Amino acid sequence: MKRILQICVLAIALTLGMAPAVAAPQTYKLHVDGLSCPFCAYGIEKKLGSVKGVQRIDVDIASGAVAVTMAEGATLDEAAAKKAVKEAGFSLRKFEQLQSAPQGASAGPAK
Amino acid sequence: MKLNTALKLGRNAVIVLAIIIVSGWLAFVPSAKASSYTFVTAWGEKGSAPGQFNDPTGIAVAGDEVFVSDSRNGRIQVFDLDGHFKRRFGMPGKDPGQLGRPMNLAIHRGELYVAEYFNDRIQVFSLDGQSRRLIGKSGNGPGEFNAPGGVAVASNGDLFVADFYSHRIQQLKSDGGFVRQWGITGETGHGAGAFIYPTDVALDRNDMLYVADGYANRIQVFDTAGKPVNKWGGPFAVGIPGPLNGWFRVVTGIAFGPQGDLFAADFYNNRLQKFRADGTFLTSFGGEGTGPGQFNHTIAAAVADDGTVFAVDFGNNRVQKWRQVKD
Repeated sequence: MKRILQICVLAIALTLGMAPAVAAPQTYKLHVDGLSCPFCAYGIEKKLGSVKGVQRIDVDIASGAVAVTMAEGATLDEAAAKKAVKEAGFSLRKFEQLQSAPQGASAGPAK
Repeated sequence: MKLNTALKLGRNAVIVLAIIIVSGWLAFVPSAKASSYTFVTAWGEKGSAPGQFNDPTGIAVAGDEVFVSDSRNGRIQVFDLDGHFKRRFGMPGKDPGQLGRPMNLAIHRGELYVAEYFNDRIQVFSLDGQSRRLIGKSGNGPGEFNAPGGVAVASNGDLFVADFYSHRIQQLKSDGGFVRQWGITGETGHGAGAFIYPTDVALDRNDMLYVADGYANRIQVFDTAGKPVNKWGGPFAVGIPGPLNGWFRVVTGIAFGPQGDLFAADFYNNRLQKFRADGTFLTSFGGEGTGPGQFNHTIAAAVADDGTVFAVDFGNNRVQKWRQVKD
C-alpha cells in the first residue's frame, strides 16, 4: 500500500513538473489599407472585437496597423480576420503572427 | 502659311483651354461670401483626467455649456464656454449610463442624445448626466443600427439617425418605432438619396433634413416629405473629394448656427466650412497643424447662441473656440 502511494505521489509530481507552461496570449499584426479616420478605426475594432477569442485590439490609424491580442489559448484565423476587416469596409493587406506576448503582460478587454 | 495656321490653331486651343479652366473654376470653386472666423482659444490634451481627451469625436452646445464626446474614454465631458471643466459622466461599457464609443451628439429640449458606435443605440441623458432611455439595438432591420454616427431630433420628437455601416438614414419615433429610411440598407450609392457611410445628420428650423454623406464627400438635403431637394460637395456632388472651397475630403459632422447657416467638419482638409442652408459656400477656416487655429483632422462642430463656433480637433485631442471676424 505504501509502495502504491509512493508511486502515485511520484506520478503526480512528475506530471506537474513536466506540464507545459500555460500558453501565452498570441498576438497578430494586421495591415489594412485606407484606415485613417475614427469611424474606420472603430469599425475595425468593432468587427474584430466580435471574433471569438479576441481580447484586445490596438489600432494605429497613421500606419494602418492593427495589433490583435488573443485570450490565452486562442488563435486568430486569417480567414476570420479577413472577413472582419472586409465587413468593416477594408482590405486586409498583410497578416502576421507576432511572438507571443510575455506571460503576465496586461491584456485588457477590447476597447 | 502652314506655320501660321498651326500657330493660330495652337493659340485658339490655348484660349479654349483657358476658358474651360476659368469656367470650371467659377462653376465648381465658389469664393468666400462672408467674413471669416478668428481663433479664440483651445483646451484639452491626450489623457483620461478631467479636461483631457482620448479621441474626442462629437460636440453639442446648450446655453452656456459645451458637451464633448470623449470617445475612447467612454464618457461625455461638460465645459463652460471658455473651456473650464464642469463635470463628466459615463464610462466604457454596455449598461445604461455606460457608453460604447460615443460619436456625434444632439441636444433637444434639455436632453442629450448620444450616438453610440459600439453599442448600436442612441442613449438619451439628462444634461446633468442621468441616463433616461436607450433607443435601438444591433442589426440591419428597421429601428436597428449598425454603428450609428450621429443623431438629430425633430420638433415633434422624432429621431433621425445616421446608420453608418448600413448606409442609410433612419427616422424613428421617440420610442424607437420605425417611421422610414433613406438609402438602401447595406448598399452604397452616388445618386440622390443614396449614401456612402453617412456620419451625421442635422435638422433646420423647418425640420428639413441635412445629411453628412461622409465618404461620398457631400451634403444631401431632404424635405419633410422625404424628397431629396439639394446636394453639394465637389462637381455635381457625386463623391469627388478635393481641397477647394465647397469640396470635402470626408465630412464627419454638421451643425446649424443661430442664423440658419450650416457648419461642416471637413475631416481630411483640416477645416470647417460654412454654408448657407441652400448650399452656398460662405467661408472656411482652420488648416493642418498643431498650433493655435490649426487642426489634426476636424471631426465635429457646434455653434452657441451668440454664433461662437466650437470645433473638435480629433488628432490633437482638443476643442477649439472660434469667433466670427466683424466686417
